[in-house]
Amino acid sequence: MLSLEKGVRLPVRLSERRYALSIFGACAFLLIIITLAAKKSTGFQWILSGLTVGSIYALIAMGFSVIFSSTRVINFAQGEFSMLGGMLMYTFNNYAGIPAPYSFILSVLIVTIIGASFERLIIHPLKKPGVITVVLITIGLSIFFRAVAKWIWGTDTLAIRPFSGEKPFRIFGASLVPQSLWIFGFTLFAVILMFIFFNRSLVGKGMRAAAENPEAASLIGVSPSTTSLVAWTIAAALGASAGIIIAPIKFVSFDVGVMLGLKGFASAILGGLGYAPGAVLGGLSLGVVETIIAGVFPSGYKDAVAFLVLIVVLLLRPQGILGRQERLE
Amino acid sequence: MKSFFERKKSDIGKTENTYKTFAFGSLLILSVPLWARLIPGNVIHMDIVNVMVLSGIYSCAVIGLNMLIGYAGQISLGHAVFFGIGAYSVAILSTRYSWFPTWLGVIIGAIVSFAISWVVGRPVLKLKGHYLAMATLGLGEIGFIFFREATGITKGTVGITAIPSLSIFGIEFDSNFKLFYVVWPIALLLMLFSMNLIRSRFGRALRALHSSEIAAEVAGVNTSKYKTIVFVMSAVFTAIGGGLFAVFQRYVNPESFHFSVSILFLTMVVVGGLGNVWGAIIGSIIMTFLPSIISALPYWFPFMPKSLTNFGNYTLVLYGLLLIVFMIFMPKGIAYALEVGYSSALRGMKRIRDRISALKYEKRK
Repeated sequence: MLSLEKGVRLPVRLSERRYALSIFGACAFLLIIITLAAKKSTGFQWILSGLTVGSIYALIAMGFSVIFSSTRVINFAQGEFSMLGGMLMYTFNNYAGIPAPYSFILSVLIVTIIGASFERLIIHPLKKPGVITVVLITIGLSIFFRAVAKWIWGTDTLAIRPFSGEKPFRIFGASLVPQSLWIFGFTLFAVILMFIFFNRSLVGKGMRAAAENPEAASLIGVSPSTTSLVAWTIAAALGASAGIIIAPIKFVSFDVGVMLGLKGFASAILGGLGYAPGAVLGGLSLGVVETIIAGVFPSGYKDAVAFLVLIVVLLLRPQGILGRQERLE
Repeated sequence: MKSFFERKKSDIGKTENTYKTFAFGSLLILSVPLWARLIPGNVIHMDIVNVMVLSGIYSCAVIGLNMLIGYAGQISLGHAVFFGIGAYSVAILSTRYSWFPTWLGVIIGAIVSFAISWVVGRPVLKLKGHYLAMATLGLGEIGFIFFREATGITKGTVGITAIPSLSIFGIEFDSNFKLFYVVWPIALLLMLFSMNLIRSRFGRALRALHSSEIAAEVAGVNTSKYKTIVFVMSAVFTAIGGGLFAVFQRYVNPESFHFSVSILFLTMVVVGGLGNVWGAIIGSIIMTFLPSIISALPYWFPFMPKSLTNFGNYTLVLYGLLLIVFMIFMPKGIAYALEVGYSSALRGMKRIRDRISALKYEKRK
């Protein structure tokens, strides 16, 4: 047993956050190397499709993070925004025949308005709600949206046309559908946009301040009401666009929102709730791990992985990989 | 908030009142099958006894959950898994071994649930608020996926059929009428148990840790122990409900233990009233009757156009809206509203009586 005397410092002192990140990085690296060594092109295929799904999780997780950091509310209806986005896209593009770019903008806009009005009508008047209240209200909302969608669109799974062709191309023996490129591109675009918004714009900087300390932020003129509204708007837009761009690959039905929301939440926890880069990291890694495990084990257990990861992370490091201790209350 | 550690005279008076209410309420519930037969089925288009048995089964689970959420302030979004453990214990044991008594299956389900919740509860209950909600949700989903995928044990989505009816020492409880008098006494016993527990040292400790965990610890309450105990207790109650559910339905499949069932339990707790023992029973009765009422509506209003009365489509819409509306406008639930209504009615009666006697007095003068 090695014993350290008092005052003796280890040569390299990593901060706690970097330490967690490096352990995570090593695990991810090992997992990927093992997968590639064992399965070669199939392994690469898994990683690619894992990243595709992971990007979607990342987008949804960012929505969770934005709302949580500014209002301390977990929005259980986040997945439903994605479902509504996909459904509206189907209606506008396949049913009404509006060209894809316009119907994309139109559907995101409608879902955003729904999200913002929900915040104004229900969350905002509550002022300082308890955890159980918020959980139940947002669950009630998600049930409501799901029921309305089932009523309008029925229980069929609907297929949306891919944005540009269906012909897959091959990279290193793995095939990739063009829609995946759209997903990667859009996720990157959204991340950059979020970065610019939170680091350059006044509202975004105010929201970051409010996330750190709501009272102090409101003293220097950051309105908590605006912060909350903007957060819900961003989350709804992110959720809707995630639901739309994944729809050509995974199809859309009235009940896709549940799983998307839960996986998005698991990603947000994994990366660090309330911290947007953490959401991206969490989403991508959850997508890859899930796809690899679905490849190795019977795929029915795939969904259990996300929750197992969620519970393990919550127990070992509740603030997530990139989160900081003080973010926990 | 009043201190829970001192017992006042008014509290003692309330105790008698609670027992009176309990006796009255349980008599009212237990008499339901007797008068429900008088109403012909083709008038109301629903089987009241059948629905009441189901709501009694749900009550068992909701009473436990109400202790956990309403009194200890710990949320759980995964209680359907314990319901499932109870149900599958009965289903698996009684269909595999024909000699196996079903009542023992219910008890074994409770024991299995006890063990699992003890192992799981200790670490998970360290989490608070949203994190606890998510962890319990994760547990519930893992349980559901296990029920669905472990086809060797649970037969997967096909489900287990032909579960024998409940028999206790040779008496077969094969009809809803007979089952009613098994389910509801159990539910009422559990309720009596939790009612007494809440007014004990244990209950005061729970309420103390609800308002502030740190303050409770300072006052000498071992919060993690109490939280684990109440979690285990609610899991066992739920498993008993699950076991009864299996002998009631005579068929189980994973869909009955989905996340939405956990939410149903939560809705029952909220609609009935958080932290109110009667709330659990009122909530589960109302929420179980709601779907039957909705499906019976077309028969009640045959003159209305079919598209309007076909409420099957709106059940879930209504359900979601109900949850939102209750949380915003009536966060204390129906039981509280009834209490307030009852006491204000009493006050109103008293005022009228006073007025009358005053008038009489003036007349005499």
